[in-house]
Amino acid sequence: MDIGQIILKFFVPLLEFLAPFMPGETFSKFFFEMEIGQQAFLAAMFVTLVSGFLGVFLLTRNLALIGDGLAHVSFGGVALAIVFSSTTPLYYALFLSIISAIIIYELQVREILSGDASIGIFLTGMLALGLVSLRIWGGGIQNDIEGYLFGNILLVDKESFNIICIISIVSIMFLILCNKILLISSIDPLAAQIQGIPVRASGLAFSIVTAAAVVSMVQVMGALLVTALLVTPAATSQLISSSIRTSFIWTQIFGFSSVLLGLYYSSELETGTGSMIALVAAIIFGIVATFQFGVKPLLSQSDNTN
Amino acid sequence: MHADSPLVVENLSVKRSKRVVLDSISLTINCGEFVGLVGPNGGGKTTLLLTILGILKPSRGKIKLFGDNNPSRSSFRKMGWVSQHASNIPKNIKITVKELVQLGTLNSSNMFWPTISDEQNKRVEKAIERVGLQSVSDTNVSNLSGGQRQRAVIARALASEAEFILLDEPLVGVDRESRNSLLKFLDNLCHHYQKTILMVSHDITAIKQTSHRMIFLEEKIGFDGSASSFPGLAELANIRGLQPVHNDDVSENKIYQLEDIGDK
Repeated sequence: MDIGQIILKFFVPLLEFLAPFMPGETFSKFFFEMEIGQQAFLAAMFVTLVSGFLGVFLLTRNLALIGDGLAHVSFGGVALAIVFSSTTPLYYALFLSIISAIIIYELQVREILSGDASIGIFLTGMLALGLVSLRIWGGGIQNDIEGYLFGNILLVDKESFNIICIISIVSIMFLILCNKILLISSIDPLAAQIQGIPVRASGLAFSIVTAAAVVSMVQVMGALLVTALLVTPAATSQLISSSIRTSFIWTQIFGFSSVLLGLYYSSELETGTGSMIALVAAIIFGIVATFQFGVKPLLSQSDNTN
Repeated sequence: MHADSPLVVENLSVKRSKRVVLDSISLTINCGEFVGLVGPNGGGKTTLLLTILGILKPSRGKIKLFGDNNPSRSSFRKMGWVSQHASNIPKNIKITVKELVQLGTLNSSNMFWPTISDEQNKRVEKAIERVGLQSVSDTNVSNLSGGQRQRAVIARALASEAEFILLDEPLVGVDRESRNSLLKFLDNLCHHYQKTILMVSHDITAIKQTSHRMIFLEEKIGFDGSASSFPGLAELANIRGLQPVHNDDVSENKIYQLEDIGDK
């Protein structure tokens, strides 16, 4: 059974219903009426939902850049897939990304290397593996590959859409079920262990889910820009929230606004989707930060509780 | 009266990276006791706590928790742990006091539940009330003072229904006033709620005033007795086999600094 097709069947009527109310020429036609666009749009929505949850946890664990590392690894995987002329590069990316995530985690837990250093090694090593084999056997960098670097939403074909849906569903389920476990393990791992929480196993599972989620984002965002969706909305929400609950809510609000506005402007102005989404996310961060630290203190000078 | 002491340590030796940190330690802590654990840096205080909690494995000897010869999950569940760093919540986490204390109610049987049960909520409220943070229960932990944060972390341990609370340097970074009220609060926990407390501290003067019993640990137990009979500086130096110090140098401050002198 093809989960992607089931989801598509479920959501397409909704998108077509919304189409007349959507602004823009290309935006409304492409994303709400054409099949390839609808697929891409839904993929972007799922990926945003997952990366919002994931982002908050990544920040709490001080792993903001692991997404970047794993995205580069995935890109190496895509390059290898092209060398082997595979039609489903995401499988290669998924394989390499998960293996790397597990090794990075183990290196960190066994205190052989710090998280940053091991991410650095894998980021460059796997990327280099892809690039070298591409040069020798695959004829160098082509258009298709550029899409994986900077994001090209047109790369989301039926097979990829299916993979993205499965990864998103599994990740969301994992993050909802384990959210408290992940929280206490990042706040006080020792106390968690004493309470009988499987700190190590849950950390490993979290790494694997992160690896898979990053792969699902590579086509929409591009390997170089994955971090923008993974970290920026969560970081923006940290500026204004005071509880975990509100952090999650604001992260989703900022994530979806970035992606919707990014998709709109990228289709109207014909720019890359990934870069536009990343730019919008960064601008939102800038606006919120300015308001929070520049405007708000002026408005309430007597109030010092932030 | 109390059938099972929270802690019985028999002949315990622990090595860390091939160095003997604890050498044949034996001690018993009874229910409702407030024990201060002092000693120089590297003297094995934290190692002892971590071994009690089952994080480090002893190379020799035995630890019994609540009469349990091979401490299992259910006896660890009665333990609470407040580390020196626990109140330094990572900057990237925005969490309220209530959310933090809720995490204390997690255990292996309810950790996958996405919601908090009524029973858990009651425990959380009780714990917050006990540490006196009701008025700030919805405030972000990083906006609290050092002393309040430390109380929030203790509330988390209380919410797990810990009977035996281990604290590692809870007084570091806490101002004098909060320090005193924190100690008074811990004392109260022992007296009124029959909790047992083992607390590591550098601040000998402070802990001497509050605890019932003091243990001086430097690889072996150098002193174990009531807080009022805790030796002065000269005697302590003698116990440690150091050069005796002139008695007129003995001020509270000097006692406090003793450990640092000893390390050099």
